[in-house]
Amino acid sequence: MAAPYERLKSWMHELNLCIRCGYCYELCHLYKSHAYETDTPRGKLLLIYGLLTGALQPDPGMVEKVVQCFYCKNCERSCSSKVSLTKIFTDAKADFLDAGIDFRGLAARTDDDLCSRCRVCQAVCKNEAISFGEDGKKIDIVKCEGCGVCAATCPSNAIIMVEGFGVTRGELRETVRAFLEEV
Amino acid sequence: MNARDIEKLREIVGEENARSSPADLYIYGADASVHAARPDLVLVPGKTEEVQAILRYANAKKIPVIPRGAGSGMSGHAVPIDGGIVLDMKRMNRILEIRPQDILCRVQPGVVDDDLNKALKPYGFMYPPAPASSCIATIGGEIANNASGTRSVKYGATRDSVLGMKVVLASGELVKLGANTNVEASGYQLERLMVGSEGTLGVIVEATMKIVPIPKIRCLGIACYNKLADAGHAVSEIIASGCSASMIELMDNVAITAVNETQNLGLPDVEAIILFEAEGRVKDAVQAEIDAIQAACEKHGGFNIETSYDAKERTRIFAGRKKLFSSLSRYKEGYACTSLADDMAVPYSRMADLAGKIHEVAARNNIIMSAYGHCGSGCMHTKILMDVTKKAQWEDARRAVAEIYDYVHSVGGTTSAEHGIGLSKAPAFKKEKADSLELQRAVKRAFDPNNILNPHKLFDAPDDWVTATELRYPVGSVREP
Repeated sequence: MAAPYERLKSWMHELNLCIRCGYCYELCHLYKSHAYETDTPRGKLLLIYGLLTGALQPDPGMVEKVVQCFYCKNCERSCSSKVSLTKIFTDAKADFLDAGIDFRGLAARTDDDLCSRCRVCQAVCKNEAISFGEDGKKIDIVKCEGCGVCAATCPSNAIIMVEGFGVTRGELRETVRAFLEEV
Repeated sequence: MNARDIEKLREIVGEENARSSPADLYIYGADASVHAARPDLVLVPGKTEEVQAILRYANAKKIPVIPRGAGSGMSGHAVPIDGGIVLDMKRMNRILEIRPQDILCRVQPGVVDDDLNKALKPYGFMYPPAPASSCIATIGGEIANNASGTRSVKYGATRDSVLGMKVVLASGELVKLGANTNVEASGYQLERLMVGSEGTLGVIVEATMKIVPIPKIRCLGIACYNKLADAGHAVSEIIASGCSASMIELMDNVAITAVNETQNLGLPDVEAIILFEAEGRVKDAVQAEIDAIQAACEKHGGFNIETSYDAKERTRIFAGRKKLFSSLSRYKEGYACTSLADDMAVPYSRMADLAGKIHEVAARNNIIMSAYGHCGSGCMHTKILMDVTKKAQWEDARRAVAEIYDYVHSVGGTTSAEHGIGLSKAPAFKKEKADSLELQRAVKRAFDPNNILNPHKLFDAPDDWVTATELRYPVGSVREP
């Protein structure tokens, strides 16, 4: 097992570069949905900073706040300090798993009873987060960005996404349609 | 504040609008300043009656209450130095009324500046203060901070847009201040007293704000300078020659380099640039102003002057200014941008000297500073770039801040032009306003006898900003045990 939060520690200077202006949450879907600063990209960076300095302990609620991200990257486009927000969030997920901390996040999950193992989801996953092995299907929750393309294309409706974050099913379908046209 | 207090206060706003997890308290204890502390509870009221009930309870129990907008303040106004309740006003975010015929609107305090302007646009109107943080800053926060921005040279600061407001006092009493009229001479202008009060006098629950028609024509110009001081003289010349500019922004080479690095704008690599803008209903009239501004720029060595009426081009050039503050963090490897001594104002004739002084002080104290800002309104911004992980650099910053403010005060300038005092600027503020501090404390007592509203800020903030709270950076404790 890697030393605790080794990946996140490497981002400490980046956390200092964040001037905490808050411009990152102008277009954050989670923030727009909940209107809590704890759901903002700035908030996630603050929590990670608190974790690294020992000011915060990784309780389940705090961990979920850090990992809940749709990777729309609006925050990164808004950030003129050019902080690599989503890379930091991904490393947080990996570090949490290494530390034995489980989380739900926004990753896709599979209903194994419904899954026909057709592998359409594997083909459309842009992050190569889905694999099939002898143990069946696996979704890598570090790689999965919760985009929902797999869920929209699954013929068996076997993939479960977290909903209720201000993205409607219609908007999700439109995003998926645009993505599929592109590929 | 005990568990029973927390339970009682939660009941007022409902379970879903109260937070007290370690994560929530950690986040709501910080803003965009160098400071950090922790509240005991975060409450998000949805209506005036809830704000009244919270304040009644807090006043009876003498629990601190810290009103909060977007948390984008740079001086630590919203940092709960004594713990207590952070009152997040962002849920009260309704635009209540837009009255173009009366050139006013009524809004709740949590309305975001840009959202208000989006709503006003179909009517052909805008809300003019335009701080750089308008994408997230709330109207309530802007009032409490007396925010202003790039167009303050023409439209003034938030105080010039406030007509009236409803305020919940520390006792829980609701009072109506000001009027829904463009002029008023009916006694004390208490609504103006609330402007810039930083949450120490009351909680704003509604505001009536002046709006202005969107100008039909705008022209943006850029002038280059080989000497920073020349750009400072040009600003003074533009103002004194009577040009009607709607924007005069200065950027020094540190600022230019930073935005070119992060925004890839290709701004000219000169010692300074001035961005200027004129606006109006008739193109000939706008061009006449632009010609006059251009002449004033050239008189003090301005060259490669370019102007554009094209909206896309204006947006592109202006993006550098809009994104400047946060871009500064990328100026030098190993350094981070901190908001310290960041928004003084000086008489126009001293603008050139101040710009030079900023760099002189920075060099003497082993840090980097940038001189930029809404110089058309007399406001100069700086930021301190340093290695935030070294305690010695904080000592350097402490000296630099003191030296800058000594200069600003010596030429008749003021500590803050638009970012407010909070904690970071309190030592300089107390020095500058030494004569009136007792009077200000008496005003505070009249509004808030139990001192529950954002206590220990402004005149009652600690004398040393470095140790006022723990710093938000990994530099170890700066406070004595």
